[in-house]
Amino acid sequence: MADWTFTAEDWSAIGLSVKVSLTAVIVSLPVGMAVAWMLARKKFRGKWLVETLINLPLVLPPVVTGYLLLVALGRRGLLGRWLDHYLGLQLVFDWKGAAVASAVMAFPLMVRAMRLAFSAVDPRLEQAARTLGAGPWDTFFRITLPLARNGVIAGAILAFARALGEFGATIMIAGDTPGETRTVPLAIYDLLNSPNADAHVWRLLLASIAIAASTMAAGEYLQRRGAEDSAAS
Amino acid sequence: MSALEFRCRHQFRSGFELDVQFSVAAGVTALYGPSGSGKSTCLNLIAGVIRPQTGRIALGELLLSDAVSRVCLSPERREVGVVFQEHRLFPHLTVAENLRFGQRRQTRPPIDFKKLIEILELGELLTRYPRQLSGGQQQRVALGRGILRNPRLLLMDEPLSALDQQLKQRILSYLERALAEWQIPTLFVSHDQADVRRLAQQVVVLEAGRVVTSGSLQSTLDRAVTVAMQSHPGPLNFLRVDDLRMVEGHCEGTIGGHRLRLPAAFAAAPAPVYVQFLPSDVTLSRAHIDGLSVRNQWPGTVREVVRMADRLFVAVDVGLPLWAEVTPESADELALAAEVPVICLVKTAALELVC
Repeated sequence: MADWTFTAEDWSAIGLSVKVSLTAVIVSLPVGMAVAWMLARKKFRGKWLVETLINLPLVLPPVVTGYLLLVALGRRGLLGRWLDHYLGLQLVFDWKGAAVASAVMAFPLMVRAMRLAFSAVDPRLEQAARTLGAGPWDTFFRITLPLARNGVIAGAILAFARALGEFGATIMIAGDTPGETRTVPLAIYDLLNSPNADAHVWRLLLASIAIAASTMAAGEYLQRRGAEDSAAS
Repeated sequence: MSALEFRCRHQFRSGFELDVQFSVAAGVTALYGPSGSGKSTCLNLIAGVIRPQTGRIALGELLLSDAVSRVCLSPERREVGVVFQEHRLFPHLTVAENLRFGQRRQTRPPIDFKKLIEILELGELLTRYPRQLSGGQQQRVALGRGILRNPRLLLMDEPLSALDQQLKQRILSYLERALAEWQIPTLFVSHDQADVRRLAQQVVVLEAGRVVTSGSLQSTLDRAVTVAMQSHPGPLNFLRVDDLRMVEGHCEGTIGGHRLRLPAAFAAAPAPVYVQFLPSDVTLSRAHIDGLSVRNQWPGTVREVVRMADRLFVAVDVGLPLWAEVTPESADELALAAEVPVICLVKTAALELVC
């Protein structure tokens, strides 16, 4: 009979995965909402370019995305130097780098769901709110966002689930340091390369399935409750 | 001082060009014209939904938009209230929250919430959501929401056109009560003569993006109708009936000082009562006729004779303007022309009750 208890390393990988994914979602949420709203509501020059750039991580090999991030955010990269100099932030080979990689990879999914949700809000309601004295921000937070709520939640959940599974880009930029940047997928990959670790691999596999499934279930629940709220008598 | 000064020129990509100038005084002004004449566009320009290319819009001392000084206030700073054709209530907010949405954000003295609820009879709806309301209730809430903003000008874009006739009459009386209570200057877009006649004191008639005519209701609309409404039924007679009572088993009232015999069903109608009838229901005679089944005979003077396509309409002043439709032959026979005295005969059964 296999031993089903998690080791300290397992817990560290699980905790790290959740931390990295949560950070990725929280940091990219405002940006994702802004971009999704712009794509849904605004016409501007170069819109196709923005769309292409956002969706690129969906079609590029994750390793390529990771490498590009490494180049940009590394010590010699333009962005990396700036972050280091002004904010003292070093992302490469750090869990924060893993969060950035996850955020970038999950971004297209997040934006897609939110954009659909914003598009589905009747712009005439926003107009009505404006004529009733609400400014653009007021209108967004009181009318647009509540009406797009379900789609926004779906986008965030989807991004979180996608971030949990991030592997290729993460290993490129953050490496695979136990306790530092070794998330669940990386830990599984390592275990697969070591002898006699079958049971251990299964423990982590089941753990990642459980996290992903409960995430999706929570999302489903929140959306259903939202639907009930708006159908409440 | 007029409530609104409007002067705008705007060329749309579709090729439609609006070039309109008018002003709105206190009371209710109707913006009247066939669909596609630019009525709603004017409303959108005032509300700030469209930015005009040239021109100037001012609301009293508040400049809404001016192409020369490059002023264009955003909609939320315009202090106008808009009641849209399709109510546009916020589906995720209750009726009470919808009503208070504008009131919370306004800078002008507040309208008495309780009083409004009472006048529009919204008390029982406050905790409901918009989708739980009927069409008429939704429109009443939308009206309340616009009024609660206490706007300098209330704009209404065909607020009644989505409602059936009976419902429309009920909303109209709510509207009349609310406007009487708060005296908010109102600009009201409509393509319905009867609504315009009932609600408005002033009218601006638009056609194809231009003002055809404007001024006080009776003369303007009557003249404009003949020009603007080239289609059936032409001008419409729409009159208010006062002093309704039962006399010897039939119903009587007065219209502009004339006694009027009405179908008995009128007696049960709640005041105010309006009647409408087609010009073709009015018969003209040069002399008073005895021994005639038609009870309503009003003497008057011909004001003008208007030819519309192949039809002929006669405006008769019987103390108030009345339209009659005649054939060209009978017009010749009666020698109808301005200043000719005539008798108007209106069949009681032709009178349609509007209340």
